[in-house]
Amino acid sequence: MRHVSAQEVRLLILSSLEAQLTAVGLTQTDIPDDFDLLTEGVIDSLGILQLITLIEEHFDIKVDFADLTPENLTIVGPFSRYIEERAPSALPYDP
Amino acid sequence: MLALSSGFLRSCELFPERPAVEVSGTTLTYKALWKRAASLAATLQRRTPLGGPPLTAVFAYRSPTAFAGVLAALFRGHGYVPLNRTFPPERTRTMLERSGCRALITDSQSVENLGQILEGIHEELLLILPETSDTEGLANRWPNHRIVGSNELDPPEAWSLQPVSPDSIAYLLFTSGTTGIPKGVMVAHRNVRHFVDVMVHRYEITEQDRFSQTFDMTFDLSAFDMFVAWERGACVCCPSQRTLINPGRFIQDSRLTVWFSVPSVAAFMERLGTLKPNCYPTLRWTLFCGEPLPFAVVENWGRAAPRSKLENLYGPTELTIACTFYRWNGEKSAGECEFGLVPIGEPYPGMKAMVVDEGLDEVLPCEEGELLMTGPQLSLGYWRDPETTAAAFVVPAAKNDVYYKTGDRVRKPVGNGPLVYLGRRDQQVKVQGHRVELSEVEAYLRQETKTDVAIALGWPITPNGAGGIVAFLDDTSLDAEGLRNKLKAKLPAYAVPRQIHLLPQLPLNPNGKVDRKALLNILERMP
Repeated sequence: MRHVSAQEVRLLILSSLEAQLTAVGLTQTDIPDDFDLLTEGVIDSLGILQLITLIEEHFDIKVDFADLTPENLTIVGPFSRYIEERAPSALPYDP
Repeated sequence: MLALSSGFLRSCELFPERPAVEVSGTTLTYKALWKRAASLAATLQRRTPLGGPPLTAVFAYRSPTAFAGVLAALFRGHGYVPLNRTFPPERTRTMLERSGCRALITDSQSVENLGQILEGIHEELLLILPETSDTEGLANRWPNHRIVGSNELDPPEAWSLQPVSPDSIAYLLFTSGTTGIPKGVMVAHRNVRHFVDVMVHRYEITEQDRFSQTFDMTFDLSAFDMFVAWERGACVCCPSQRTLINPGRFIQDSRLTVWFSVPSVAAFMERLGTLKPNCYPTLRWTLFCGEPLPFAVVENWGRAAPRSKLENLYGPTELTIACTFYRWNGEKSAGECEFGLVPIGEPYPGMKAMVVDEGLDEVLPCEEGELLMTGPQLSLGYWRDPETTAAAFVVPAAKNDVYYKTGDRVRKPVGNGPLVYLGRRDQQVKVQGHRVELSEVEAYLRQETKTDVAIALGWPITPNGAGGIVAFLDDTSLDAEGLRNKLKAKLPAYAVPRQIHLLPQLPLNPNGKVDRKALLNILERMP
């Protein structure tokens, strides 16, 4: 069983996107809970899959996104909490 | 011969209170959508500057105005020219300029991008903003254009039906040209009518059906969603760009009965774990088009939507949306797949196919060649570009009809067998004088790795072809060197990828297809 906190996920997301955030004039501390990475132009659908792969590799978990509210896939806070919630029951990352 | 809008108008009479479109949280009944469209059409009729071609631009994105705008152009007797604010503004400006449109309809969300589009356009345009009431600032900003806001629209009753010739343009759709300047494909009313008639009969569409709209209007497959649904009083369900990222819940919440997308969307859903057994029980039809359909996608989708029949459609814009179909059959289809790809099947009723060699002579059954097609869906050619039209629309020897050269390579079937797609003609590259079929390299890559998508490119580009082959896969856990060794056993040395790059995901273009140009850009930036 793995414990992953939403805060850890948030940090991983934002540090991996540092260059993109800087490009739109933002720093990690500017990012509110309801920040939408897609509509704010930080990432596209390709970026989302990269992010998911990064998170799964980093925490060694295989996350099932079927139960995530679709619109929350690109919103930092709810997305991070979903990972936190799912991590304990998740299988190890198996690409 | 009826105009393209005739199906919508008939459904307005039969089903005025049924939903025609669900978009941005709004449901528009046939009656409500008619009112919006007729009001815009009346405004166009009265106020479009004189001169200019019978075309109206619709610069709107997944909004009520996008749908009303398309219908308004048709009601007005014009063809619609879809423009997309998510495209680079310069590209959109080129399309607007090339089309020569004198009127443009836009939604509130696209207004802020309008400035970049209008830059350098001096001819007077009629700009209709049905979602914007305060237009004073905009009128000051663009004094040489005529601006009509929501308060100044003509009433729907002022619209009168315009007769259109079956040969007039229903839509002008820009596709990428080899020279970098987009080519406008002129699709006539009679082309789309034939397509719509074939589809509503084949899929037995009724007013109970609910269609997905995964395609932007700048992709001609969106015309299927709108006009096939409206022909029979069905509803088009248009998700937002955000919802489309992960569309599983949308299929369920919207109780879709007809799903239509590129296969990549299904591959994405599989990655997110949203193709669970029987999770889409409402679907009765699943249609894929726009790129080769991998067998694996069909298998995964089939589990998630077991009640849905599935078809692979094929067709270039020049032949009006789609012109061949292949019905998936659980018993025999696996045996008809080649290189793990589903066949493209047979021509639509009324359409004729030829498979030819480079001299445009028909090849023998079982041989490969370029697919040429003709029939009622053969479009009018390229807008204001007779040279490019003449090069692609040809009369083969011993034939009397004009055929469109698709640039796609297929295998000529034996007897009643299906056409099998083998790749683009221009995906052949010469490496050290040898002809290399990129689709063949890709097929081996998919076979060895069991992945859905693999891309091979000729690289570096040389005057007579390419120095070698490089490949991209969307799985970072693979052993690139081991894979290269396996391919050495399958392919001649010159065709074996010299490098295999592993990315978490391959870049997609606005239409959801793998963006080969973006991959070439990645290669260019590599040291």
